[in-house]
Amino acid sequence: MKLPLATSIAADRARVFAALVDPQTLQRAIPGCESLTETAPGEYAATLKVGVAGLKGSYKGKTTVSHQQPPDSLFLSFEGRGAPGFVRGSAWLALAAEGDGTKITGEADVVVGGLIASVGSRLIEAAAKKLSDDFFRQLAKVLTDQTADAR
Amino acid sequence: MYAAAFDYHRPSTIDEAIALLARHGDEAKVLAGGHSLIPAMKLRLARPSVVVDIARIASLSEIRDAGGRIAVGALATHQSVESSALLKSKCPLLAEVAATIGDVQVRNKGTIGGSLAHADPAADYPAAIVALDAEIEVAGPKGRRTIRAADFFVGLLETALAPDEIITEIRVPATPQSVAYEKTSQKASGFALTGVAVVVDGQAARIGITGVATKAYRATAAEQALGAGRTAETIAAAASHAADGVDPLNDIHASSAFRAHLAQVNTRRALERAFSRV
Repeated sequence: MKLPLATSIAADRARVFAALVDPQTLQRAIPGCESLTETAPGEYAATLKVGVAGLKGSYKGKTTVSHQQPPDSLFLSFEGRGAPGFVRGSAWLALAAEGDGTKITGEADVVVGGLIASVGSRLIEAAAKKLSDDFFRQLAKVLTDQTADAR
Repeated sequence: MYAAAFDYHRPSTIDEAIALLARHGDEAKVLAGGHSLIPAMKLRLARPSVVVDIARIASLSEIRDAGGRIAVGALATHQSVESSALLKSKCPLLAEVAATIGDVQVRNKGTIGGSLAHADPAADYPAAIVALDAEIEVAGPKGRRTIRAADFFVGLLETALAPDEIITEIRVPATPQSVAYEKTSQKASGFALTGVAVVVDGQAARIGITGVATKAYRATAAEQALGAGRTAETIAAAASHAADGVDPLNDIHASSAFRAHLAQVNTRRALERAFSRV
């Protein structure tokens, strides 16, 4: 499934870009992320406990960030596997200046398979949308908290 | 498949149930009729380590007249709501909606409180709950509080209910017989691809819609467009606003555009039927 992505963050492009490749920021922003470590430049291994409401599963996964063109754009690919099934996909993110802030646009292409896809198909797209919204909201919060701390 | 291992508790009072939830927090799930939780557990999409079975708390299944409102206990089954003489005469919408849920087995075991707490975006009750502007009473460690329908549904499978709170009863207003629920269901599951509940009370029509967005909503744009109009043209024109301002769900059963279309068609049909009963 294809998911359009669009969000605005009150921080300049350089900071947003740096946040998107910083393991500590990512760990705080990714919903349900229990650990995230950089295994090689641009490669991260993560464990997640993620889902909606009471329907949560544990996943182990890895993410690769490539085609980095700071502060304009980057390409992410990710895959995760757990008892409820697997998720893999990729996303382009483009960062544009918007006043003092940054507008992120892009599109994710996500494939979900296994048990979660066969029985949860009804809710998967809505759940994926919610998780990506949660990620960007939390990313914005981490960045604005840092701005507040710096003052 | 069998559910993953869990501890089972069967409290006999609400206070005991809340104490168990307070002790186990996020790890615990409340079991009522079990028609959403048990399938999710058997598929291991939900793996609570503690299950608090409230089905034996007798005081929670009553349907009674509560001075102008009708109080429906959280453990009232869909079947008992559907067949309640009190609801049929004082709040017929709730009975009509209950009769369309799932199948006989689901209606005999599933409960109104369980359905609302689970907050499936395709569940039937939420359309009626928002159209009726019902009150949901919940009990928790800090006592009882009442949540209005408009504030209860927060998002996909998410409600204003805290993990250590239990729904105790749902209070609905008395209404005239001029109500209707029109639904297009997914054939295999009976879940609503779109369900539209309408209450016509005096000059006002209230419209609640389920199945279209991540949570049930009041179709205020359609209500305003309708105003005091009662002709076929005004009804059709108002119904065309049924999905205004919402982002319709998209899945293998129905595209966003199809859901928005169904919302309009079912709104028109529900309004026509409710007006025919005035």
